Amino acid sequence: MNLNLAAFERFAVIFQPGDLIFSEYEPGDSFYLIQSGRVQISKVMGDIEKTIDILYPGEIFGEMAILEEAPRSANAVALDQVKALEFNRANFEILMRGNPQIALKLLKLFTKRIYDQRRRFMILTLGDIQARVLDVFLMLAETDGNPPENTEGHEFKTTIEDIAHWAGLPTEKCREVINHFASQNRIEVYPDRMLVKNINEFSRFVNSRRRAAE
Amino acid sequence: MAPKAMAFKANSVIYFQGDLSDKIFILKSGKVSLNSQDIETGQEVRELIQMGEFFGVKSALGRYPREENALVLGDASVLQFSVPEFEQFISTNTRVIMKMMKVFSNQLRRIHIRVNGLLNIDEKSDPEKGLITIGEYYLKKRMYAQALHVFRRYLTYYPSGKFSEAAMRNCKAAEQSAQKYGTGKGPEPAVVSASTSSSVSAAAAAASGAGGGNEALKKVFYNAVGLFSQNNFMEALKGFKKVIETGGDEEYTIKSMFEMGRCLFQLKQYDQCIRHFTGLIQKYPKMPDLAEALFCTGQCYEAKNEKEKAVGFYKKIFSMSAENDPVRRKVMKALRALEEARA
Repeated sequence: MNLNLAAFERFAVIFQPGDLIFSEYEPGDSFYLIQSGRVQISKVMGDIEKTIDILYPGEIFGEMAILEEAPRSANAVALDQVKALEFNRANFEILMRGNPQIALKLLKLFTKRIYDQRRRFMILTLGDIQARVLDVFLMLAETDGNPPENTEGHEFKTTIEDIAHWAGLPTEKCREVINHFASQNRIEVYPDRMLVKNINEFSRFVNSRRRAAE
Repeated sequence: MAPKAMAFKANSVIYFQGDLSDKIFILKSGKVSLNSQDIETGQEVRELIQMGEFFGVKSALGRYPREENALVLGDASVLQFSVPEFEQFISTNTRVIMKMMKVFSNQLRRIHIRVNGLLNIDEKSDPEKGLITIGEYYLKKRMYAQALHVFRRYLTYYPSGKFSEAAMRNCKAAEQSAQKYGTGKGPEPAVVSASTSSSVSAAAAAASGAGGGNEALKKVFYNAVGLFSQNNFMEALKGFKKVIETGGDEEYTIKSMFEMGRCLFQLKQYDQCIRHFTGLIQKYPKMPDLAEALFCTGQCYEAKNEKEKAVGFYKKIFSMSAENDPVRRKVMKALRALEEARA
């Protein structure tokens, strides 16, 4: 991107690896444009901290609090030494005006995030626990683009804990469901991955449960 | 290529739910409604498009299927943009981008809240409680630096908040564990939880009658603590002074006198700091932060280049503190540094 940022160099801030840049629920009056290093965006949910996103140079974070004057909606942690430009609310518009590419990028990012959350919401509205677990596989299949051809089925680099998280279920409950499908030979479970024999079958199962609920 | 003007008759459809398309529209005249079903309840949701408003933006930009039916209720004329045309258009209309961003951001937040609602995570109701809960999470996970960050911010934003007492104590626990064990190590610190501490302090307040005056005093104190954590030592010093002048609560007087000393050290007023701590220790030889006060005094002498005196103070702390007192680690480090400098 050809950015018009020279005028903003004086807003540069440095974070060390592991630094908490901001915490969820903090009142926020600044946002950041990453210049170097990576930033992890996460949310604490009960007893676990879930990574929502990992951001790279050129990306923006912290803008939601600016746009809505609401508290931070997630934690931001520096993964490496991070150099970022820190802007306040007044500068947000100035930056966007001078750099419509950034504005556009941000707009696209929002559309993706909204879609992902709506998809997640759809999973959670399923009353049938089995359908919920299978729908997580469908969602993961939708987002992993074009996985390498595998004649044995669709491979997922995921764990039962992860699936349980997305399905909003206790890990044990989720394990029961997955074991059930494993006993029917529809899923193979390995320590670091799972193999779904026929993903279309899952799709039919979920759709029938979703329709039944309507 | 330019956006294309199009006319639609009443009762026609501009696009269907599920369609994949890269077209974005702006309503010039007529009546268009976006109809969809609520994901959770299945209820029909209708949204009337305003004149001059864009629609179809999210699905086109995000390249995912349309989420609603765009129905024409009364003869309508629209402008149709392809994604590149739209990008070109809004590049020169930052006002439009800003408005859209606000709308999207708000939609995202709303869907977050609904997701959390289904997960039975109670949030947004109280950001003050939310913030302290995040701090507790980090402290439990022994991520001390992160915990400290959160509790300090809490004290900055809510100097006399419901959980400022808990935040203070957790701050201390995080500092001590960090010194003693280092990040990620050590036993799980005793976390003063927001849910329990609020009931405890409420009970305490009830038992002591109402401590109205006390509340005002605490507010000044925590406000000063917040200023200290923001490195505004001058203003913090003034705040602590005020607590002492107001008086009425010995616990807070002693705490404030101790904190004043720390401010003086940070302000590099070493002679004054030494005098301050000496007086304080004489007056309250059994004060809770005695070891820290001695350490700070030692640091003053070190800063003044009076190393022998500094060593004297450090050794004294060593002889009087318990084996597991976190201050020992700091003292050891300081002593080692001095020896190395000499060698």
